[in-house]
Amino acid sequence: MGFLEGAFFAVLTIGIIGAGAGVVLANRITTSALLMAFTFLNVAGMFLLLGAETVAMFQVLIYVGAITVLILYGVMFTPQVPRPYGLFFQTQKFWAALFVVPIAIFVALVAFAFRDTAAVGAKGGDLLPLATSVFRDFAFPFEVASVLLLAAMVGAIVLVKRDDE
Amino acid sequence: MAVPLGAFVAVSAVLFFIGTAGVLVRRNAVVILMSVELMLNATNLALVAFSRRYASIDERGSVFVIFIFVVAAAEVAVGLAIVLSAYRNKPTVDVDELRQMRG
Repeated sequence: MGFLEGAFFAVLTIGIIGAGAGVVLANRITTSALLMAFTFLNVAGMFLLLGAETVAMFQVLIYVGAITVLILYGVMFTPQVPRPYGLFFQTQKFWAALFVVPIAIFVALVAFAFRDTAAVGAKGGDLLPLATSVFRDFAFPFEVASVLLLAAMVGAIVLVKRDDE
Repeated sequence: MAVPLGAFVAVSAVLFFIGTAGVLVRRNAVVILMSVELMLNATNLALVAFSRRYASIDERGSVFVIFIFVVAAAEVAVGLAIVLSAYRNKPTVDVDELRQMRG
């Protein structure tokens, strides 16, 4: 069981980092979108490994389902002239590197200096505590979130509506 | 060997960094949106890992993950709407060439 957990973790880590790097590095934008969906699936696997199966289900429904489809529609409606590879990096490469490198060093320091050797794993489902929290302590933010979604929906429709009809 | 918390935090940090690099380095607005989604996913992973590790404090981290899902859905919808309406004015999604929102 312990070994199996470690093996799953290794496979999911390779999937997340490989596909995530592919999203940034791929030349074709459709490839980027599909690799993004694959990254989300691997993160859902991580949630399952952590024993958070409800969050994993939401991850598959919302990210792999809804957001990927939305992004693919965005790709479909904005056809591009294909560019040669090196050109699609921003012109201000130097400034980008100036930001990226310190962030990388900082993130690496913080993440790999973190020591907590206690194992994290499944201990009971997360549906009951999650539902209790959402509908008791976070009931008001939950309602506000629905207002936010409504506002975003109306805003998106207004933004893409044509004026001439 | 069971997986320690630090391993999840490290994976989350690497994924967050990949997203940051994507936002800073790519020119295509749709790819920038995808990279933002990667960053949000990295924070979700860290939140769930910490929430499972310290489960005695009532699974609050997973609640924030649910709210991040909501905000991410709203953000990607509005972001794509902005990209599409900008594309209609000028057929490009290259952030170096989109300048009509500049003040």
